[in-house]
Amino acid sequence: MISQFYILSLRGDTIITRDFRGDVVKGTAEIFFRKVKFWHGDAPPIFNLEGVTYVFIKKNGLYFVATTCHNISPAAVVELLTKMSKVFKDFCGVLNEESIRKNFVLVYELLDEMVDYGYPQTTNTEHLKSCIHNEAVVIEAPKTGLNLPQWNPRTVPSNAVHRPVGPMQNDSKSKKNEIFVDILERISVLMSSNGFVINSAIDGSIQMKSYLMGNPELKLALNEDIMVKNMDLGGSHGGYGSVILDDCNFHECVDLQDFSDLRTLSFYPPDGEFAVMNYRITGDFRVPFRIFPFAELQAPYKIEVTIKVRADIPEQNYGGNVQISCMLPKTSASVSTELAVSGQSAEYLASEHRLVWNIKKFQGGTEAAIKCRVTLSAPVSNIANIKKEVGPVSLTYEIPMYNVSNLQVRYLRIAERHKSYNPCRWVRYVTQSSSYVCRF
Amino acid sequence: MVAMRQKQNDGKFFQTTKRGEIQELKEELHANDKQKQKDAVKKVIANMTVGKDVSALFADVVNCIQTDNVELKKLVYLYVMNYAKAQPELAILAINTFRKDAKDANPLIRSLAVRTMGCIRLDQVTEYLLEPLRRCCQDHDPYVRKTSAICIPKVYDINPELVEDQGFVEILKDLLGDGNPMVVANAVAGLAEISQTCGRDLLDLDKGNIPKLLAALNECNEWGQVFILDALATYDPSGPSDAESISERVTARLSHANPAVVLTAIKVILRCMEHTENPEVLRMLAKKLNPPLVTLLSSEPEVQYVALRNIRLIVQKRPGILASDVKMFFCKYNDPIYVKLEKVDIMCMLVSDKNFDQVLLELKEYASGVDVEFVRKSVRSIGRVAVKLERACERAMNVLLELIETKVNYVVQESCVVVKDIFRKYPSRYEQVLSALCESMEVLDEPEAKASMIWILGEYAGRIDNSDELLESFLDSFHDEPLMVQMQLLTAIVKLFLQKPSSTQDMVSKVLQCATEESTNHDLRDRGYIYWRLLATNPEATKRVVLGDKPSLRDDSQSVDKNLLEKLSSELSLMSSVYHKYAEEFVTRLAVTPSGADEKAQDDDLDEEDRQASRREVQEELERGPDAGRNGSGGLDLLDLGMGDDSPPRTSGAAPAVQKVAVLPPTQAGQHGNTGFAVSAAFVRQRGSPTLMMTFSNSSSGPLGGFAIQVNKNPFGFAPTQQIACPEIMSGSSAEVAVVMTPGQLMSNTPPTNPLLLQVAIKTSLDIFYFHVQFDLSAVLVESGALTRDDFTPIWQRVGEAGQKVAMISMARPMDAEAVKAQLAADNVHYVAQRQVDDGSVLLYTSSQTPNNCTVLSEVAVSPGSSSLKVSIRTETQVLMPLYEAMLSRRFG
Repeated sequence: MISQFYILSLRGDTIITRDFRGDVVKGTAEIFFRKVKFWHGDAPPIFNLEGVTYVFIKKNGLYFVATTCHNISPAAVVELLTKMSKVFKDFCGVLNEESIRKNFVLVYELLDEMVDYGYPQTTNTEHLKSCIHNEAVVIEAPKTGLNLPQWNPRTVPSNAVHRPVGPMQNDSKSKKNEIFVDILERISVLMSSNGFVINSAIDGSIQMKSYLMGNPELKLALNEDIMVKNMDLGGSHGGYGSVILDDCNFHECVDLQDFSDLRTLSFYPPDGEFAVMNYRITGDFRVPFRIFPFAELQAPYKIEVTIKVRADIPEQNYGGNVQISCMLPKTSASVSTELAVSGQSAEYLASEHRLVWNIKKFQGGTEAAIKCRVTLSAPVSNIANIKKEVGPVSLTYEIPMYNVSNLQVRYLRIAERHKSYNPCRWVRYVTQSSSYVCRF
Repeated sequence: MVAMRQKQNDGKFFQTTKRGEIQELKEELHANDKQKQKDAVKKVIANMTVGKDVSALFADVVNCIQTDNVELKKLVYLYVMNYAKAQPELAILAINTFRKDAKDANPLIRSLAVRTMGCIRLDQVTEYLLEPLRRCCQDHDPYVRKTSAICIPKVYDINPELVEDQGFVEILKDLLGDGNPMVVANAVAGLAEISQTCGRDLLDLDKGNIPKLLAALNECNEWGQVFILDALATYDPSGPSDAESISERVTARLSHANPAVVLTAIKVILRCMEHTENPEVLRMLAKKLNPPLVTLLSSEPEVQYVALRNIRLIVQKRPGILASDVKMFFCKYNDPIYVKLEKVDIMCMLVSDKNFDQVLLELKEYASGVDVEFVRKSVRSIGRVAVKLERACERAMNVLLELIETKVNYVVQESCVVVKDIFRKYPSRYEQVLSALCESMEVLDEPEAKASMIWILGEYAGRIDNSDELLESFLDSFHDEPLMVQMQLLTAIVKLFLQKPSSTQDMVSKVLQCATEESTNHDLRDRGYIYWRLLATNPEATKRVVLGDKPSLRDDSQSVDKNLLEKLSSELSLMSSVYHKYAEEFVTRLAVTPSGADEKAQDDDLDEEDRQASRREVQEELERGPDAGRNGSGGLDLLDLGMGDDSPPRTSGAAPAVQKVAVLPPTQAGQHGNTGFAVSAAFVRQRGSPTLMMTFSNSSSGPLGGFAIQVNKNPFGFAPTQQIACPEIMSGSSAEVAVVMTPGQLMSNTPPTNPLLLQVAIKTSLDIFYFHVQFDLSAVLVESGALTRDDFTPIWQRVGEAGQKVAMISMARPMDAEAVKAQLAADNVHYVAQRQVDDGSVLLYTSSQTPNNCTVLSEVAVSPGSSSLKVSIRTETQVLMPLYEAMLSRRFG
């Protein structure tokens, strides 16, 4: 059970504060902020100061903090904070300092329903809707480009739908009957300089945001040949090219009765954003980008670094906002770059000794290369010595309408007989980089 | 009530002139238009949240509570909850509405009323809550019942007796069988909390109610699942089949999306695994635990951190589960530092002959990164791998060589420390690294690295040609070096001398002189003298001592102590499993109710009127009742020191118990040379009898039993009154033993030593162990040692000035005569009379007696504001004087 909860801005202002149990001293918000602000490096999410345990997460430029003086489950507290932030987002439409400030009464009402005496009660937006009476003050959503915010990699806003749920939406005439489904995959790859993949993993998630009227039952069908290790599934056995998941988990609303035979998930979608299923794949898959770095010693004071990147994705797809960055030696004095094609840009950040190369749109099946001449302030005799200081090369990107694992939504069916009930279904595939690194 | 309200209005006149806003809000609150009223309440709450004091509007806001509008009602409740503490008498005004609302037709309002009343920590409110709460526990609506279930621990926290007397614990137990899973979950959480506070297991899990919980587990939401799983983890299965059926039911939880559910389920399954021996079942369960653990690593970094801390324990407890997954713990470049550091530790735990190549390659990559802390950790880890696996050592050494060649300052320093550890583990190997190290010696500026380098130079003095020159370069700045380096330098030069005596005579005498004559540090001086004497008496023997074989190094830096591991694996997924500490070490308030100090702190930031303050005092007095009793039972101890102070210091946890001292280390052998038994002990007076309090710990491989105690003859003739009654102690656990001693039995007829010692022999099934316990005179002095004035004077005069000793006792802080008296009484130094002296100080006369009727009298002069006491001691038994003085110094120091 948590004792206190508060939301702080990045400047340390208390926006929301609630004491659930009164067994922790006052003024912990300041203590917390000072500690985190002056922590050497990133503060761990859980720490203890004078008998008070602080647990926090950072979301959309806000600190969500809980304190306790009991031996409780920290994973539950972290998860509770995460879920709270999601509920606030669901009800307020967007999650930022302004929306929380403007909707503070609503936030307090939500808090009292979500947590009683420090014990989490429910964080289900659907259930909460039935006992919440305040209406949200709608805040204009900030514009987001294709490049999604860095701080919130797990829950990508579904198609920039920043509409609050809640009572007023029910009688609103403008309500659209629609549902958004995202198949989001985050790729971690570690490659060696010869293109050999040392380590690779996909963290996948099927995210959904439902604005459906009447809350009908949904059936989501996946590839028929999906296999899960350590799970005995019937149906057609996966042969070559089938999708094999190392592990997966499901939202609590999901009924798995038909999963074994038909690979179908049935559920009544709760309101708001939620992850229907999370899955994990390790091992061999076709990595979307291959990186080939070279370094060459041309003179004792000069090296040339060449990086070639190949997009190993279908031609109709493209990588958006691709950024390739490479560490250069600390002794680099001047750096000049040479790009073959237009539409790309490269710059050298001298303070970080880092080369940054941006490609707005990287078409599938094509290759891009950069040549980079580095003048050093100290001579090197051997390329092996200087190679240690070059790299790693890391990549960030987003590939719309493509997923690496080949996990597909065969159909999303609404178990409603009425013909006139025909909501919009938006299904989107997105592949993102998580940790995408190539070593020299 | 009416009078009170009038007073409130009186106070208003002053405020309104200053605060026009408050007056405005007040008018709006009384508006007829409901919307306007609602907006006004919202404004009030807005003011409240930004910290403005709007408590003056309490009556006006409460006035709005009588409405059918749920939204408005909720707002008023929010306000009331916040200010009820500051305005208790006004909160009573709202009570009738609360009671009415608890009967409302709308279940939301019923539960709102119960929930809010429970949050108002006022006895008056609590009394009125009991009846509605009892009714709501039987409500037909589950939402009301679940709210009522969680309300019971709230009331228990305010008034535990009331809850027990009124049978609410029984009601809560009945709710365990409720048809609604959320109600069951909250009842479980409530019972668990009350159990923890009162120290009795009220959940009382057995085969009868386990199925009920398992059934509710499948149906309730994620948070309820966490409560229930946490409770299940405290249940000891009755046998293998019970354990297997529970783990089977719980396995389904492993694929839940909530990491807390997954971790808690893992805890339950690990617990069940303790109770089954079937290898097939164990293998199957271990296989099922692997994927969810790995999946936790792809969640948010915060969850990853919790998971990794837990995985460290799991890997140590059941290494098989993750043995083949070391790759999963390779760091990603965008992991936060706290995740990376944990991952590297786990990599070292999972390293094996099969994967060390990969692991070392990874660590090498990390070691060439940019984050200094992480780089250092990686270099250290390379050393750990080498120390752990002999086969990996060659490869690790190569990696280290490459790293040293980079000449990056902190990498070289860290490598130096690591190389030293490897040399200690594998002496006389990999000497090719020596020259590389010597070359980069000038970059060393950190004490640990320097000390390591010096150790290496000393150890390999014979193989490094210019070792004498290198060591001599350190010698010039001997006095500027930190102690760690000085110690190593001393040892290294002695080693060098023993290997190359001819050329290093001057150096060794210089270093010995530096250490013994010029240094002010005791340790260094002692070590210097030892070497000096050794060298002076027998150089050959010195060689054997200094250059002899050293015990081998073992890496257990990251593993958790065995006892702790056992405890933590039953507390997996809890805070303690993240801190890797016993819960008692950081949980500050398990059983103590937070009345006094907490409320006081809050009061400070409210400008209250006098009448409230005085009311509050009465309130606190009532609340403090049971607490005062609790402190009293612990004896007049340090807690009383704070009584005269304005702000009593908040001591964490209970009053400090008897401080035991380690008297027998586990490494000390017994009569037959066996080790593995440790004792810490204290000899004190408890409930009027001298008692030997001991903690026996068994660190041997088998169980220990057959305990018996004997003590040697001693000046006061203490002998055990009864034999030890201590059951068998299992390997790795410990037990508390108290033995009451009777004086006057085993008289040694020798004068008491200073300090007083009791020689004890403990017989165990392992061996007979001897040790001695040091104790205070206070353990000896008897309760019945108080003399009357008439008895006191003749002795006082008989001893006279000649037999008097005057001692100055310094105190931690000034105390008045009463406090001093209380302190003395705690040591059985009895108060006889007192006298006021002109300069304001007080003279206290005391008497005390030993069991063999030796009397010690004293005159204690307490001067106001002074932090020392002047004590004149008079006794016919002179040997007791230093003991008496030592006792007082300890008491007041």
